Amino acid sequence: MARVLMATEQKYIERDIEEYYVADEPFYVPTSDEIEIFESAYRQRVPILLKGPTGTGKTRFVEHMAWRLSEGLVPRNPGEEALNGNGEKLPLITVACHEDLTASDLVGRYLLDADGTRWIDGPLTRAVKSGGICYLDEIVEARKDTTVIIHPLTDHRRSLTIDKLGSTIDAADGFLLVVSYNPGYQNALKDLKHSTRQRFVALEFDFPDEEREAAIIAHESGCDNDTAERLARLGVKIRNLREHGLEEGASTRMLIYAGRLIKEGVSQRRACQVSVTWGITDDPQIQRSIDEVVTSIFA
Amino acid sequence: MNSPDDAKKTAIEMTRKELEQFPAPVLERYDAALEKLSGRLAEDTCSLWAIEGLEIARKTVRSWEAAVEFFDASVPVQRQLPSGQFLKWAKTGSLLCEDSPSLAVAYFKSSPKAMLRLRPRYIDDWANVCRSLYRGTWKSSALACRLFEATPDLLETLSFEEFCHFGEFLEILSRRSYDQAGDSLGAGIELFPKISGDVDRFINLAQIVAEKSWRETTVLFDAATASLIELGTPYRAPLISLARRLVITGVIDAAGVLRDAANTVNKVPADTRDRLLEMTDGIAAVSAPAAPEFLKIVPEILERVTFEQMGQWQAEGVRSARESDEVAVSYFKLESPASQEMLDSLSSSIELSRVREVIQMYCLALTGHIIDVQAAQALADKNIGWFQGELPTTEGTTIYMPSVINRYTSKDENFGFFKVISTHQIGHIEFGSFAFDFDIPSTMFEDLRPRLPGATELKAAKAAEEEARKQSSKLPEVVIFGHEAPAQLEPTPTTTETEVEKPEFLTDMSRFFDLFGERRLALDIFTIIESSRIDGYVAELYPGVMTVYNMVRDAALESRPDVTDLPAREALVEFMIRVSLGQIDEMIVPADHKEAAKKLRRLVRQITNSEATVEDATEATIRAYSILIDVINEELDDDDFEQLEPEEEEDDFDSEDDEDVVDPEEVIQQFMGMAGPDGDGEVDPDQDGTQEQDLEGEEILEEDYSSPQEVDYRGEFKPELSQLLSQMQMMEGGDMSETGEMEPITQEQLEEMMKNAPEMEMEQTQGEEGGDEQVSEMIENLMKELQKRDPENQQFQPGPSQHVDEDGGPLTAIEPDTYTYPEWDFRANEYKPDWCMVHEKIMADGEPHFFRETLADNAGLVAQIKRQFELVIPEMYRKQKRLEDGEEHDLDAVLEALIDLSVGVSPDEKLFWRRNKNERSVAVAFLLDLSASTAEAIDEAKKPSDDWGAPDDPVEYMVWLRSRRSEGLRRTYKRIVDVEKEGITLLVNSLETLGDMYGIYGFSGYGRENVEFYTIKDLDENFSEIVPRRIDRIAPLHATRMGPAIRHTVQKLSEAEARSRFLFLISDGRPQDRGYSREGVEKEYAVHDTRQSLIEARQLGITPFCLTVDKAGHDYMKTMMEDFSYEVLPDVSLLPKRLPQLYRNLTT
Repeated sequence: MARVLMATEQKYIERDIEEYYVADEPFYVPTSDEIEIFESAYRQRVPILLKGPTGTGKTRFVEHMAWRLSEGLVPRNPGEEALNGNGEKLPLITVACHEDLTASDLVGRYLLDADGTRWIDGPLTRAVKSGGICYLDEIVEARKDTTVIIHPLTDHRRSLTIDKLGSTIDAADGFLLVVSYNPGYQNALKDLKHSTRQRFVALEFDFPDEEREAAIIAHESGCDNDTAERLARLGVKIRNLREHGLEEGASTRMLIYAGRLIKEGVSQRRACQVSVTWGITDDPQIQRSIDEVVTSIFA
Repeated sequence: MNSPDDAKKTAIEMTRKELEQFPAPVLERYDAALEKLSGRLAEDTCSLWAIEGLEIARKTVRSWEAAVEFFDASVPVQRQLPSGQFLKWAKTGSLLCEDSPSLAVAYFKSSPKAMLRLRPRYIDDWANVCRSLYRGTWKSSALACRLFEATPDLLETLSFEEFCHFGEFLEILSRRSYDQAGDSLGAGIELFPKISGDVDRFINLAQIVAEKSWRETTVLFDAATASLIELGTPYRAPLISLARRLVITGVIDAAGVLRDAANTVNKVPADTRDRLLEMTDGIAAVSAPAAPEFLKIVPEILERVTFEQMGQWQAEGVRSARESDEVAVSYFKLESPASQEMLDSLSSSIELSRVREVIQMYCLALTGHIIDVQAAQALADKNIGWFQGELPTTEGTTIYMPSVINRYTSKDENFGFFKVISTHQIGHIEFGSFAFDFDIPSTMFEDLRPRLPGATELKAAKAAEEEARKQSSKLPEVVIFGHEAPAQLEPTPTTTETEVEKPEFLTDMSRFFDLFGERRLALDIFTIIESSRIDGYVAELYPGVMTVYNMVRDAALESRPDVTDLPAREALVEFMIRVSLGQIDEMIVPADHKEAAKKLRRLVRQITNSEATVEDATEATIRAYSILIDVINEELDDDDFEQLEPEEEEDDFDSEDDEDVVDPEEVIQQFMGMAGPDGDGEVDPDQDGTQEQDLEGEEILEEDYSSPQEVDYRGEFKPELSQLLSQMQMMEGGDMSETGEMEPITQEQLEEMMKNAPEMEMEQTQGEEGGDEQVSEMIENLMKELQKRDPENQQFQPGPSQHVDEDGGPLTAIEPDTYTYPEWDFRANEYKPDWCMVHEKIMADGEPHFFRETLADNAGLVAQIKRQFELVIPEMYRKQKRLEDGEEHDLDAVLEALIDLSVGVSPDEKLFWRRNKNERSVAVAFLLDLSASTAEAIDEAKKPSDDWGAPDDPVEYMVWLRSRRSEGLRRTYKRIVDVEKEGITLLVNSLETLGDMYGIYGFSGYGRENVEFYTIKDLDENFSEIVPRRIDRIAPLHATRMGPAIRHTVQKLSEAEARSRFLFLISDGRPQDRGYSREGVEKEYAVHDTRQSLIEARQLGITPFCLTVDKAGHDYMKTMMEDFSYEVLPDVSLLPKRLPQLYRNLTT
């Protein structure tokens, strides 16, 4: 009986992507004036490009901004007043790009069903129609044809052309395109074309300084301040190895995970080992070196 | 009775007559001999003798000489032989004379002495042995003669049997080389008496060696002379037998075996020697070639493990040796992993070389700078001011550590010690010991530094004063010379002294130490306080190491000298060290200085925390100094010491925190006082002592102050030198524009600094005689070191201008295989047309073995790369979708088309997929930097010291470089260019499996009109055995003018027919060349031109990629390669591994 009940009881929330907006404030510690820049850019509907290594808070930042705008904490249009929670919700539609992502995955496609064909809007189209923020994560990963689709959306036209339907959609007022990418410095073939990158306001993300990072770790993981400080220090030390064997530094996210494990009672050294050392590299030599740093910082 | 008598007489007379026809000496000697013999020999014997003599003389034209010797020798020989034997002796000589008169001469000559040791019945054999060496040639007869001559000496130690063996040996050897046989004979005479008892054994060995590999005999004798003699008698025999067995089973280097074995046997304790030889025998029984390797490696093994443990290691080796000789040899050479692991598991010691990379990366992580890790000996060898070879230290960019740690019984603890010392040493870097800035205020103390007078200043002021006094007293004389005189008379020193009044210091550290009269004391105090500060930081920031750190610290504390043995001032310094090492209880101090001790303790404790800065440490030093300088360094009795009560409550201490332990005003007064009458003697501690006495006005026996013994884990601390060296490095860091170009440091400035630096004093006082020489040599080395670090000087310095002026005009390519290219002037924002001339040459052929050996040595890597590259091929066979025609319908595409049709949109016609359509079409050109800097050794530790002899003058440098290159075979270290070669070799080998079109080029040059461009393999050239030969010849040449070389390569690539084209640039540093700059200073010029050439490449559809091994590469690479892909390798040795990886990533 109980089982049946469990099955019928809905344990998840399912909503259309247009209805997804950030309801609770995502924790975000600004490192500079990026919040102001984002707000201004949004009011002017200038598309935004977020650059930076993995785990530096790009996605979190977008969520945070979507929340701020959704809550109406800041005016959405030039000359408006802030609505402070009474505004219309602003949807956030996130698409994680991958190498097989084609234009029709973004725009939409016809599906064949019993009655014939049916058009389904892709996430980008739905964002354009609903007037939300469309966030294309790791845009360079997507196929080249996708970048061309977004061009008309990123200039004065603000329109999306759908070849298959033979139609053009002007973006709803609230729509804004935000893309992110990680400029891996040795990636010869995966780079953003200039014709694309010059359509965006670019915000650079890097790891926060030690103090801020400690605060972030403490907040996100709930571990004590001393542990958080040590984790932040570990992060700084490991990032010194970037380009000397490590392709990427330790992300803040990684350190937060370590903090969470520590809070759960896992010993500090072990927590760092499983969430940082082993995660960041497979090279035994570098692992050993990082291990030495861990065992120096954590007793 | 008469007739026979007559007959005899006639025989003798006849002989006489006959002999007259020979040169006069013959008859003379005959008469002389006859006179003595006639009385002793029976008459018929005598006549037989005479006839024999005549016969000898008659034998050949030159045999009269033999006859002379015969007559001469007859008298002494006859005394020792019965007459029958005597005649036999004569007969033998006569027969010899038949072969060669000179043999007979030698035979007769050595006979008298030889007969003393030779039994008469062996005479024939003896002659035969010697004669056997004779083969009718001059050389052979000389050799045989020598053996005759040497016989008496040889027989002193050799039995006749042994002598025969030796003869046999010589005979065997002489078949190959008379010279060598002669050498061996000479060596034998020397050697045999010293190894009597083992001679036969040795000769036997020599005989075998001569048969197997006759060339080795000379070295064998040499080795025997060098090694066997000093080896104790009991070990000689087994050793020789061992060598013999080895030689029989195929080991060639018997000499080496002897040498190594003797060396090893002498090194191990006497009671283990038999066991050692047994072990060797055990190995030899299984695998002969491995035994010599074992003997060679034993000393090294014993450094790491006990003899018993070595036994286990050997036993394991013997087990594995059964597999094959190769396995055995590499095991006992300590080259095979199994062997190293076995040894590792037995030993608890840790060698730096094994953990170096880990520590290096650990240091990089902690400091954020690339810190090199070297054996401490390497720094001492540089002779730039560090002397201890075993103490850890740093000079700001490299940390130096003992090459092996064997302090503890477990590996973990020994590694822990490495970690402790590296954490402490890089603590100096991380927490800014060398970033000291005189003008930055202290955070904990009232700043005294700016208020104190500098000693140099004081001295100068005093000197100037005195000079002024002298001047005034000299004034009357001046009058005589009239007007001009004062200028003439003014002694130059005055001017210099006044200049010194505002002294310039090379470093802030020097400026700081200049405040003190007794610099060495100041340095000692600063060392303690600063190290203590670092310990404080480590404790706070790296609690994880503290377990071992404390253990090491406690051990250090225990090994400190007894305070009560020291004179007062030293006792207090020692007390400070103990405080800094964390001792709390039972602190013994001189009873009279309890208050001072308390203050010192407070100072050390105050500074030991993670808030203190290096400036705080200097302020604390001033305070401690002011306390200690008042303490007379007198010898104390044991009862003059008392125990100091432990420090009061913690909070009490805190409340006092703000209070200064000294009164700043008093300190200033005290320092001013230093300028007193004796102020100029500060450098010399002896004089300083007297000064103290004067001030005190008491007659106390004052001991010379000597520095405390170093704390082992803290090592040698040289703040002044380190700051100087790291400053140079820092300039490279890129704030060049900010600070402006730093004035080059002159030799004089350095000398000045060395003279004053307290760090240098120790050595100077230790070795009085020759001290100056030492110092100047050190200064020279230091200059070189500085130049090496100065980025300015890393440029290739061009010689006098024998070339076209930089300001000249465009060049024209007239000669064949020359090409001109423009160059980009980034200031003018335009090209200088036809500015550079590229000379294209084909690389000369070298030997093919480099290629083969590299492949063989890296077999593992080769296989790995091959595998990687093979994976590329299936990638090319990937299913290709959306084609108009193909193997099969693409379901997705068909569905889409159906949908399109039913919606009424025109469907896509590309409905098929197919495999293998995407043909790989890649052309790649590798461009190698062959600049002179690639001659740099990649691992400094292995760099021979003669490297310091590199001349500064470029012309000489080239000569030097060439001579170095020619001795390439002897070079044991790797250069950057060797790694480049290796990388290319591995890549070429794999590229062949891939079938890409590729070219390999090298470039170098000297000036814009001489850009050398070497073709190692052209793009359209097929791989042939000539390519490996050319690779072999890749070597460092001149400078680095990248632009034209890139343009030329691009030119070649653009003609290649391929869909994707790549330019792969491998360099070791920034582009630089004579005149490859603007007004000779703007290094950006070269960077921008290079960048421009890369942009040109891209415009032609060529993807450039730059791989550099320049550690300082990032700053300019960012400018040069913006938008382009590049990689900076942190370690050159990664290149061979990384290159194929990159290639694969780039082209797929």
